[in-house]
Amino acid sequence: MTETVTASGRRLDWQLAQVREIAVETFRVKSLLLHVPGWQGHLPGQHVDIRLTAEDGYQAQRSYSISSPPEEELLTLTVEKVDNGEVSPYLVGDLRARDQFELRGPIGRYFVWTVATGGPLWLIAGGSGIAPLMAMLRHRARQKARIPALLLYSSRSLEDVIYREELDAMASHDPDLRVVNILTRKQPTGWAGPRRRIDKGLLADACFPPSQSPKIFVCGPASLVEAVSSLLVELEHDPLAIKTERFGPSGAVS
Amino acid sequence: MAETPISRGFKSRRAEQTPKDRLPPGQYVTTDFPVLSAGPTLQIKVENWTLALQLGGSLLRQWSWAEFETLPQTTVKTDIHCVTKWSKLDTTWQGVTFDDLLKAAGLTNPPEAYIMAHSDGGYTTNVPVADLVGGKGMVTTRYEGLPILPSHGGPARLFVPHLYFWKSAKWVRRLRFMEKDERGFWESLGYHNYGNPWKEQRYDGD
Amino acid sequence: MTENDSDLVLDGNAAAGLLQEIFALEITTAQIQCDTCDSVGAVGSLRLYAAPMGAVLRCQHCDARLMTAVRTPHGRWLQMTGARRLRFQRRTGTA
Repeated sequence: MTETVTASGRRLDWQLAQVREIAVETFRVKSLLLHVPGWQGHLPGQHVDIRLTAEDGYQAQRSYSISSPPEEELLTLTVEKVDNGEVSPYLVGDLRARDQFELRGPIGRYFVWTVATGGPLWLIAGGSGIAPLMAMLRHRARQKARIPALLLYSSRSLEDVIYREELDAMASHDPDLRVVNILTRKQPTGWAGPRRRIDKGLLADACFPPSQSPKIFVCGPASLVEAVSSLLVELEHDPLAIKTERFGPSGAVS
Repeated sequence: MAETPISRGFKSRRAEQTPKDRLPPGQYVTTDFPVLSAGPTLQIKVENWTLALQLGGSLLRQWSWAEFETLPQTTVKTDIHCVTKWSKLDTTWQGVTFDDLLKAAGLTNPPEAYIMAHSDGGYTTNVPVADLVGGKGMVTTRYEGLPILPSHGGPARLFVPHLYFWKSAKWVRRLRFMEKDERGFWESLGYHNYGNPWKEQRYDGD
Repeated sequence: MTENDSDLVLDGNAAAGLLQEIFALEITTAQIQCDTCDSVGAVGSLRLYAAPMGAVLRCQHCDARLMTAVRTPHGRWLQMTGARRLRFQRRTGTA
């Protein structure tokens, strides 16, 4: 594949990633901790393209957000197994430590937040859309930044909440961080949190008003992203301050 | 070129498949029906729908939905092949053959050798008339006995199953005869002008 | 499988890998103006269609086609007829 050198001098070549560790997040989600020799760093929110090659030469390519912060040496990709998927069942089911695959990146400066950007930081996630937002929160924690931050995280059930313990711990140790879990399909007995899809009321109540000019990042299935963005604009948030990333069922542009 | 590293244990879906003589080279069989569109799914009301046959800029014949439904209906069961490598076997479609459209328009012979299909939403694709006559091409309105879903091109799509499925234009509205061949949307952006799956004519230059 | 047709719509972020093979400058943050409705937005926020045949990027507001990119074994193609212009951001600091 031809080399591409961007104006930043960073190459978008395919590199080899080696799996160091695999962590189970939920019953359909795993985090892959990768060693990429020569990795030059990334910004929270960026993604990588990965490419798998079968023995018969067949190749499949997908994009995954980096869920680790730039402060971490190993790169983490958090992958949700999609039923009838071609790549995710392999990554979540078959992949083992010491396996390797090709990877290129980091890609995309649009959906990026660093401590230098400032806050307040308002993150809204649906399902596996939490991945790039987690990179942002982990970066914020590593930098010990006292930037007010709020995460609204919509999942189907408590068992589907990715990084649940880590998010609980982050929030309990950080007075400037609030995490609100929304469970849309199944709630445990006594659940006091929101239990319906994110609506205007939830966004208006929970949150940073437009007067505070929050930096807003929405990531998840396209339907959630579109709905939430429209509601935010209705609530008079600056459309330019709302950054979105839509996750799809099959991912990459070939 | 450096060797591409193999991903241990990764198997193409394709490996598990089917009757090789039925599958064009490089294809694999799918049991679902992937949706691929160059734009948002259009919700077209049949009350407003028309299909036109054009010669250059002038109208040869136009049918409303009600009129179109009274034309001779043909049902075919055949395989379809997408350039993105999936094939679907034994699919059943119903509609009006291109031959019957010509007859209904009072044309004993097609006036030109090429057709550009124009769809709602701006999509275009070019097909030689020789690949539409003799039962090879249709305008279909039903898939597996039911009206074609909007996401699959309903209410009507062009249907040319012996070529890659991007030629079977969704939401078709006009079939324009052309004296000279012109490239449609994908054909202008690197895809093969003709698109024969059996010769694996995916891209311009293949 | 997909519950909702709108879940198929990705955005310029997902096409970034392909686009960065073509553009020397960072493309997802570039501001693109729609020739149909005049609106301006980041390429990363455009609606993406037709993957994996290629990347068809459409205006968020009026759905007009702004950029289409295709990679084939014989080369890469780019069409930008629906866009009036692109403005690339200056590189600022970090990483």
